[in-house]
Amino acid sequence: MSSQTDVPHDPQHADDGAVHAHISSVPFYVAVFVGLLCLTIATVGQSYVDLGKANLIFVILIATMKASLVVTFFMHLKWDNKFNALIFLSTIFFIGVFFAYTLNDTDKRGELDPDQNVHVWEKTGEQAPGGMPKAEPHAPAAAGGEHAPAPGGEHGGSTPVPQH
Amino acid sequence: MSTEAATEPVVPGDEHGHDHDAHAGGHHGPKWLAHHFDTPIQQFDTAKLGMWVFLAQELLFFSGLFVAYGVYRNWYPEMFKAAAHQLNKEMGATNTVVLLFSSLTAALAVRSAQVGNRKLTGRLILTTIGCACMFLVIKFFEYRHKFEAGLLPGRFYHPHVEHLAAGSPPLPDNTGTFFSIYFMMTGVHGVHVLVGIGVLIWIWIRNNRGDFSKEYFTPVDIVALYWHLVDLVWIYLFPLLYLI
Repeated sequence: MSSQTDVPHDPQHADDGAVHAHISSVPFYVAVFVGLLCLTIATVGQSYVDLGKANLIFVILIATMKASLVVTFFMHLKWDNKFNALIFLSTIFFIGVFFAYTLNDTDKRGELDPDQNVHVWEKTGEQAPGGMPKAEPHAPAAAGGEHAPAPGGEHGGSTPVPQH
Repeated sequence: MSTEAATEPVVPGDEHGHDHDAHAGGHHGPKWLAHHFDTPIQQFDTAKLGMWVFLAQELLFFSGLFVAYGVYRNWYPEMFKAAAHQLNKEMGATNTVVLLFSSLTAALAVRSAQVGNRKLTGRLILTTIGCACMFLVIKFFEYRHKFEAGLLPGRFYHPHVEHLAAGSPPLPDNTGTFFSIYFMMTGVHGVHVLVGIGVLIWIWIRNNRGDFSKEYFTPVDIVALYWHLVDLVWIYLFPLLYLI
């Protein structure tokens, strides 16, 4: 570890080897809690207003603000060894990689393989939900594949559970 | 406790308060300082580092569930919207406030341990445990309603119209997928709350025993970190499941 006795952690306390963790005041912690409450009220309030696609962005934004408050102050990352912050941030980065690669795959399956029945449910020929909902109404012409959804194949409501 | 200590005459039950002058020969720190650490700060930093690596693992572990959520929500946005109407927003919001408050009391417990106020630390840990139990009780009532209404995972999904939320949009046939994800995410989170209650009780007992002081409060700090993580996961779960 890097924390040998010759590395002063806090210039004020030189290197006596003792733990000199930052101690925040009680009002400070309460203020962070009040901030978290306000953001909770904001996110619940927002849920009654339909912003369309921006809904999800708002939700993630507010949740991330709340998470930042908890991590920075309640979990002391602001005053902690910077290496711990590096561990945390690299974790977030890899979660991002996980999301990006997976969603990039699952979002494009139907589009990429129209000839392999990806967006047609194999057993009934009905259009499978999830493949490419945007192209639904005129799938045969647009896709140009010979595996057009069978007539009478409904979309939306009553499709069976998909077999991805 | 250390083998090197045998090279020096040892007073039985010695309590050398300071360890920083003891570089020559065996060093006897306070009794809470493990023999393989030179100084309290080294032990403290090591414990924190280990905990953050564990928390990183926890986040990566939960991220699998979040990615599953992302994939299915991306495939069936309308189904997710309809299904979320069956969740009780008020109960979810109450649980959010309960967990946030328990995070505050956990942070304050660490603070009072840092300043050496043992009585207050104990009371704050108990409050945190109380909030954790309250969270699980509210969760129990939510789960019970889901079972009554037949809003269950995958093929167990068989909604009873009379139990569904009034005025909610019709549920597509594949809504069971949403409840698979709902039960998996909140269930795994709930298990973490249970484990949290366990470690908080352990830390409460140790605090009562007088294990902690201004100089040594690492276990309180570490357990609080775990508890904040449980709160952190819920901060994302609540809006993503209840507020679609």
